[in-house]
Amino acid sequence: MAPGVGKTYEMLRAARRRKAEGQDVLIGVVETHGRRETESLLRGMDILPRKPIEHRGRIQMEFDIDAALERAPKILLVDEYAHSNAIGSRHPKRWQDVEELLDAGVDVWTTLNVQHLESLVDVIQRITGVRQRETVPDSALSRADAIELVDITPEELRERMAAGKVYVPETARLASENFFKVENLTALRELALRRAAQTVDDQLVAAMREKGVEGPWAAGERILVLVSGDAMAGSLVRAGRRLSDMMMDAPWIVAHVERTDRPAAGEGGAARLREAYRLAEQLGGATVALTGEDIVGTVMAYARRGNVTQIVIGKSIESRWREILGRSLATALLREARGVAVHVVTEAAHETPPKRAKKLGLGPWQGYAVGALFIGAATLAAWGLDLAFDHADLGMIYLAGVLAAGVLYGLRPALAAATAAFLVYNYLFLAPRYSFQIGSPTDFITLIVFWAVALASGGLAGRVRDQALGSQRRAAAVTTLLAASRTLSAATGRDAVARALAEQVSAAAGGRATVLLPEGEELAPIAGAPSLEPLDAAQMAAARWAWEKGEAAGFGTGTLPQARWTFWPLEGVRARAGVAGIEAGAAPPGSDLERLVLALLEQGAVALERSQLASEAVETETLRRADRFRSALMNSVSHDLRTPLSTVMGASSTLLEYGDKMKKAVREDLLLSIREEAERLSRYVANLLDMTRLEGGALRLRTDWTDVRDVLNAAAERVSRRLGGRVLARDYPPSLTLVQADASLLEQVVVNILENAITYSDPGSRIELAVYEDRANVVISVEDEGRGVPAAELERIFDKFRRLEEPSDRSQGAGLGLAIAKGFVDAMGGRIAAASPIHNGRGTRMLISLPKTIATSHHLL
Amino acid sequence: MTAVRQRILVIDDEPQIHRFLGPALDAAGYEPLRADSGQEGLRGVALWSPDAVVLDLGLPDMDGKTVLEKARAFYDGPILILSARDREVEKIEALDRGANDYVEKPFGVGELLARLRAALRQSGKSPAPRGPIRAGDVEIDLEMRRVTRAGAFVKLSPREYEVLTRLALGHGKVLTHKDLLTAVWGPAHADDTQYLRVFIGQLRQKLEADPSAPTMLVTEPGVGYRFVGDDP
Repeated sequence: MAPGVGKTYEMLRAARRRKAEGQDVLIGVVETHGRRETESLLRGMDILPRKPIEHRGRIQMEFDIDAALERAPKILLVDEYAHSNAIGSRHPKRWQDVEELLDAGVDVWTTLNVQHLESLVDVIQRITGVRQRETVPDSALSRADAIELVDITPEELRERMAAGKVYVPETARLASENFFKVENLTALRELALRRAAQTVDDQLVAAMREKGVEGPWAAGERILVLVSGDAMAGSLVRAGRRLSDMMMDAPWIVAHVERTDRPAAGEGGAARLREAYRLAEQLGGATVALTGEDIVGTVMAYARRGNVTQIVIGKSIESRWREILGRSLATALLREARGVAVHVVTEAAHETPPKRAKKLGLGPWQGYAVGALFIGAATLAAWGLDLAFDHADLGMIYLAGVLAAGVLYGLRPALAAATAAFLVYNYLFLAPRYSFQIGSPTDFITLIVFWAVALASGGLAGRVRDQALGSQRRAAAVTTLLAASRTLSAATGRDAVARALAEQVSAAAGGRATVLLPEGEELAPIAGAPSLEPLDAAQMAAARWAWEKGEAAGFGTGTLPQARWTFWPLEGVRARAGVAGIEAGAAPPGSDLERLVLALLEQGAVALERSQLASEAVETETLRRADRFRSALMNSVSHDLRTPLSTVMGASSTLLEYGDKMKKAVREDLLLSIREEAERLSRYVANLLDMTRLEGGALRLRTDWTDVRDVLNAAAERVSRRLGGRVLARDYPPSLTLVQADASLLEQVVVNILENAITYSDPGSRIELAVYEDRANVVISVEDEGRGVPAAELERIFDKFRRLEEPSDRSQGAGLGLAIAKGFVDAMGGRIAAASPIHNGRGTRMLISLPKTIATSHHLL
Repeated sequence: MTAVRQRILVIDDEPQIHRFLGPALDAAGYEPLRADSGQEGLRGVALWSPDAVVLDLGLPDMDGKTVLEKARAFYDGPILILSARDREVEKIEALDRGANDYVEKPFGVGELLARLRAALRQSGKSPAPRGPIRAGDVEIDLEMRRVTRAGAFVKLSPREYEVLTRLALGHGKVLTHKDLLTAVWGPAHADDTQYLRVFIGQLRQKLEADPSAPTMLVTEPGVGYRFVGDDP
């Protein structure tokens, strides 16, 4: 976490334990910083001798990677992961040595202070005011199999320092006043703890995915935000995001349950849902549409599969009475949710919920109960009217009850109501009264009429109801498909699409799903939800069948039904994209759910095909660009190497063959031309190397406070012999602010621009080299009186291998000069621009502006 | 040194080339003339009617092949092309359009002057050698239609003889595959380069000291063949 906490000490103690267990432990390099306790731990350990590295007469003792590789111990200790190696070592950084060792199969133990992590550099600088220069990329840390945090309290560390265990006393005093302040140390400690926790968390999730264990696992927080089409959707999404922030960017998913037994959300509701999904995607959340009859069951099943630990729901005012009845969603979820926290967000005052009539929900028995209620009401009415009417007319009242039950609840509740109505009617009103005896045959007719009415009305109502339910399901399916298509089209890359498809199918069907794609010749499982699991032989056989024959195989089909999964081919527009498998029973054949799944698969196939086409297009484009670059390079090399070589060969062979017949002046001129062309060649090679350094990212800046005027003079001196009669005028101010720049790179930039000015202007013309400053920048200006640059070319003159008047062979240089100038200036944080024409339709002005840096001097340890 | 020096026009835009070619031609006994562009070159050919022209194919103002074509309309002296090694198509095209020979850049002056001499000799402006053509111990007697090697008669088929003499009469000039095939087999076989490979192979077997490292019948890769004989 910070210098002095005892990392090296801990590492050595652990190493000694391993050695005592008989393992092959080698100390590659350990810095004891003269700490006695640490040194005492080195006794008796195998220590690799260090290797002297010589650079500019100074010798540094560095870690000997070759010896370590040759020795190949079981465990190798390499202290100070972020260390920069001496110039002349194999790798500039020690972590690169470690990478090589890991690749060679050596287990490496190393130590790292949290402030050396690349991604934390800004944060650390804010906290401590010190910018770390030795950093390790986070990706290098992620290669670690295990991370052990060495932690002590800031107070303890300061005490240790005071006791002289970290630094020698004078350094220690300075250090504790600056870097080692309690608040700095506390902040660093928190960062270290967090970073370690995050790594542990990632490893847990990976392990869990590998094993497909049903969650939740306490370590990784995963948040599920449930939204419906009401006005709260937006606030819920934002609440989910805040919760995620509090939980160190825990992944969060916004979900909506489409009820198959309820009408889909109305026009306004659907719009609010879309809005909520869009917001969630903007804020970095995932979205998913769930389908099911029972909200609680569906949500909990998804939560367990997706390892959700936190559920966020909303409580709107209208649901308060349900809460009183103990029937609110929150209560139901809390009853079911074991190990899951449920957050209830209340509605803000201004969010008025849309009014919607609610039905009393009693499940499937509701129809029978209401039917009984109708018959009871009919009985009461008939009882009251008993004296005034003939008993046959009273039957009509019962008939009304049966009709009502039938229309509202369908066939079976209607038949039950008809039977009950007849029994009650017979008992109470038909002679003989107060008995179930049937007195006359006309009473049978009454019974039959009751049933007939029940059949007709119930059947009719049932069909209407079924149709309504069907259309609701279809609406739910359409919503799911819409959500899926959005997720699928947002996924980039084949594997991401496969993962999204598996997740959508799994969420829609409520079972496990997997997607297999061709990898070379073979079909391989690429993605699975909730986790990717290996398929057994029968499943693979079914998957292959589906792939080869293009028909469904596995459970519930005629082919390989013993496989516990069903596999469908993913048919794209051009070709078969892959195969998707779904756990047996998740989407029964012929069901609505199966149709939904098939529609999802169809979308998935198209999305997969799209991603494949996209990656092919990218590949072609990359190849095309590489090809263009290569041919430009070839042309440049062929011309720019050959022309000076022709002169060198021609002039030297002339001298060899006829030198003794020639006058001295002619001989000297030939020799001079040889030298000039050799110089040209060497400049060109240097340019090529510069370009390669820029392209390869190997450019290392050596910035220092620089007087630009010195740089300009050096550059002018370098081009002076090539001026060829042109006048180089200089215009400098008497005093100039120093800038942070790499003097040698800047000199090359100016030389390249001057050479360009020489190439494109006539002998005898004037080239002006000037420098001035404004508030924020020091600006170098190079003006020539050449023919200028056409407006169309201005933007492209800084491109590689761009030369005016192509394809001529006349102009000198490879068209690399300006590209290099721009690359160097960019690297120094400056800007370069060209303007043309500048006067009388001629001339070019090049401006290089370098930012004035505020002079800062941190007290570095 | 001859009383009247032969004049050689060099058309090239690179001042560095003129810088050494001028003194070299001068020292070799020619009178160098200079042109820096295609236009200038054409004017030079018309005005001075030089004994030979050295033409760089890469010119700023017009394509070197166009210069060649235009010059050929009124000039029939030898034209030597300067060209890059990797541009076979360009070379063949130039030869087809009437160039006599080419030299690859970068080149040594010795090579250029040797080609120039051969071209001048062949164009008849230089005293042409009478009698048999010699290359090492091989002697080709055109009048007797006889080929001997180290004095011993070498039996050649009529086609082999035809190919050999076509090449030998070129005096070091490169003949393209197409030239040879059209001349010996007729236009219908202009693209059958495998014929040539077979016949050249047979000729080398019969005439070269080391057929795998030929010194007389030299291959110009991608272009054609060249007969390298002794300087008369």
